[in-house]
Amino acid sequence: MLGFVIQRLLQAFAVMAVMSVIVFFGVYAIGNPVDIVIPPDATQEIRAEAIRRLGLDRPVWEQYGIFVANLVQGDFGRSFIYNEPVLKLIGGRLPATLELVLISVISATVLGVSLGVYAGYRPDSWVSKTIMGVSILGFSVPSFWVGLILILTFAVSLGWLPAGGRGDTVELWGIRWSFLTIDGLSHIVLPAVNLALFKFAMMIRLARAGTREIMLTDTVKFARAAGISERVILRRHLLKLISIPIITVFGLELGSTLAFAVVTETIFSWPGVGKLIIDSIAVLDRPVMVAYLILTALLFVTINFVVDLVFALIDPRLRTRAAS
Amino acid sequence: MKTTMNLKGLMAAGAVFALSAGAVAAQTLTVGVRGGPESLDPHYSALGSHAEAAKHIFDTLVWSGTDLQIEPGLATEWTPIDEDTWEFKLREGVKFHDGSDFTAEDVKFSIERIPVVSGPTTTTIYVRRVSEVEIVDDYTLNIHTDGPAATLPYDFVRLFIVSSEAAADYSTPETAAEGFNSGAAAIGTGPYKYVSWEPKGDLVLEGFDDYWRGPGAWETVIRKEIPNDSSRLAALKAGQVDLINYVSSVDYLALENDADVEAVKGDSVYVMNLQLDQREDTPMVFANDGSKLDENPLRNPLVREAIDLAIDRQTMVDIVLEGLGKPANQMMPPGFFGSSEDIPMPEYNPAKAKELLAEAGYPDGFKIELYCTADRLPGDGAICQGLGQMFSQIGITTDVNAISKTVYFPAQARLEYSVFMNGWGTLTGEASYTLGSLAHSNNPDVKLGAFNRIEYKNDRVDELLQAGATMLDADERRAAYEEAMELTMADKVYISIVQLQTVWGAKADTLEFEPRFDEDTLAYFVKPAN
Repeated sequence: MLGFVIQRLLQAFAVMAVMSVIVFFGVYAIGNPVDIVIPPDATQEIRAEAIRRLGLDRPVWEQYGIFVANLVQGDFGRSFIYNEPVLKLIGGRLPATLELVLISVISATVLGVSLGVYAGYRPDSWVSKTIMGVSILGFSVPSFWVGLILILTFAVSLGWLPAGGRGDTVELWGIRWSFLTIDGLSHIVLPAVNLALFKFAMMIRLARAGTREIMLTDTVKFARAAGISERVILRRHLLKLISIPIITVFGLELGSTLAFAVVTETIFSWPGVGKLIIDSIAVLDRPVMVAYLILTALLFVTINFVVDLVFALIDPRLRTRAAS
Repeated sequence: MKTTMNLKGLMAAGAVFALSAGAVAAQTLTVGVRGGPESLDPHYSALGSHAEAAKHIFDTLVWSGTDLQIEPGLATEWTPIDEDTWEFKLREGVKFHDGSDFTAEDVKFSIERIPVVSGPTTTTIYVRRVSEVEIVDDYTLNIHTDGPAATLPYDFVRLFIVSSEAAADYSTPETAAEGFNSGAAAIGTGPYKYVSWEPKGDLVLEGFDDYWRGPGAWETVIRKEIPNDSSRLAALKAGQVDLINYVSSVDYLALENDADVEAVKGDSVYVMNLQLDQREDTPMVFANDGSKLDENPLRNPLVREAIDLAIDRQTMVDIVLEGLGKPANQMMPPGFFGSSEDIPMPEYNPAKAKELLAEAGYPDGFKIELYCTADRLPGDGAICQGLGQMFSQIGITTDVNAISKTVYFPAQARLEYSVFMNGWGTLTGEASYTLGSLAHSNNPDVKLGAFNRIEYKNDRVDELLQAGATMLDADERRAAYEEAMELTMADKVYISIVQLQTVWGAKADTLEFEPRFDEDTLAYFVKPAN
């Protein structure tokens, strides 16, 4: 088992090293931030001074070297635009994204799986057909459009919920959270619904397909024959059996939503990391772009690593195959 | 929408524009803005959105009025006392938010602090001419410059004064952001006191009762950053904010049928200019079959004249910009220091343009790539598309490239374009800012022409601009700049197309305020309507 872990760790490390090169040189290729940020009335001298201060006068490989050297010490550099350490900037906005993503992914999963199981259990009822219709809608309508319609309906026309922003926050463990106040919760509802819609639809389809498949198996037939109640069959057998693909998808969706909640955060002015990265791209704030992409890569590498470990723990065959 | 009036008419009327009359005076003003400060350190960035936020907490030495012409601010008067010294008299009895007195020491501290803490969008430009600050007494300063600096007072319109005491420990690049963003050093003499701020989030401010202009109308001011245009408008319609800036032209049309929201239109300082590369060998102009031309046709005055005649400015305003603009004949709005009244409005005459092209040796025209931004100023991409069609009508086949500013500006700086369109705002309100950067030949020795990216050179213009920079007599300087402007526009290497207008949106019958040329939304000058 230890050999397996070390092997996987080395792989993860190699992926990160390659990612850092791709990200750094990719961002470097886009253009010189100086041309965006220097004011038009700057003289040639002031321009040269600003370039020197940002370290942009050095060759790209040297800039990369400095970047890696700092990175090893846990320093991602300072934002060009905010003059704050990048990690602090990203860290300060992570809770906002985290609470939004967790609320939407968890509620999408709970609700989606329940409805999906029902739709798979009673495939011919009109309720099931309605559920499936809704899920098609969730798949096919673009999320920015849904976001705008949500704002128009619930904020502008009905005036029930706020159109954007984060609302009141409460400090807990030194971090500000919105979900602990009524006002903050009311701000979360619309963006969370917007973000959850696609996952909700996907969970319905996954759960329905799994349910349909398993209801026809011998396991269920024998269980029924043995006189076990439908309720127990559903809870103890069916849910357990369909949960493997659902947990895998849940993990992946959690990761990708954390990294790419960009559209929803922009439309709802939600001050999370997605909005930060879009704003940073608009002004070529290189340190933030690079750090964000590298952290995103790290997130996925970690998720994959954990998933591999969990699978290896569950299934001994994977360990022996990897070790041999 | 009930009424709109542009700033010109407004100034003529000599009255503050009233969105409406009669409403309940609220104590809190919530403003939805497109962009906000990068930091609460006013010396960190020279961006307009940064200065706009800073003006709530800090004052400037020289104030720039709604029409961007200079007025007394924390300095009450300024006079050149010799070739390279300006004497500034300071306002007495001004208090900082912590109750301490404002003195010459704070000005000296602020000026000397700028080069140390300035970020990439550098504020060093405001003090570039200062060589030494000498305190004469508590309310008099002698500012020594590196040679005659005629425009020094204009440079000082964004010279924010911080408290030398409160900011003393927060004046290195490492400590500045921390000190100001937490509020510890954010002590100014401005109309509002710091309450809280987070980057890209809300800036919360509280009224300052001892403000020297008198207390403002609002007890609390909240500036919410909402960059997305539709979201900002939605926030206004949902009642989350009272006032928003930068209503898009599409939304502006829709607002005309909306009784709950009023739109205020103001002239902007931004003028869209077409720029024609003057290098012998230019990269993006081709013969009709795509091959290289023997010479750069943009160097031929007949061709430039033809291009100018091909532009239908009125259509551009009426159709492309939905009425939100004005035809422009020079690079600055009328009335600015150094703009000329003798420059005629160019005519639209495609037939004559074709004749001129034929006379210049291009009876069948040629092919150009036209570049511009699509995400920087309202309508920039659309104007570009319009230009493409107008040029094609006189036989200049045009490929329009309306692209992101993050790609456009670096490529422009590498001189990769031949024909391109930029928006330019004369933010100081006077011509040396614009002509000095664009029209003077690029010459680091005299610190002029840094943004001249078409290699334009007119010796007489160079001469006038260099002379103007040292003329301490305002009338003489104005005459020099007017002549330089006339000569530049006559050369038609910079072809001004339209002056933009900006739109604010507010809940109907609640607020009154006066639009500013620099598009700033300043809470102190917004009043409840009653």
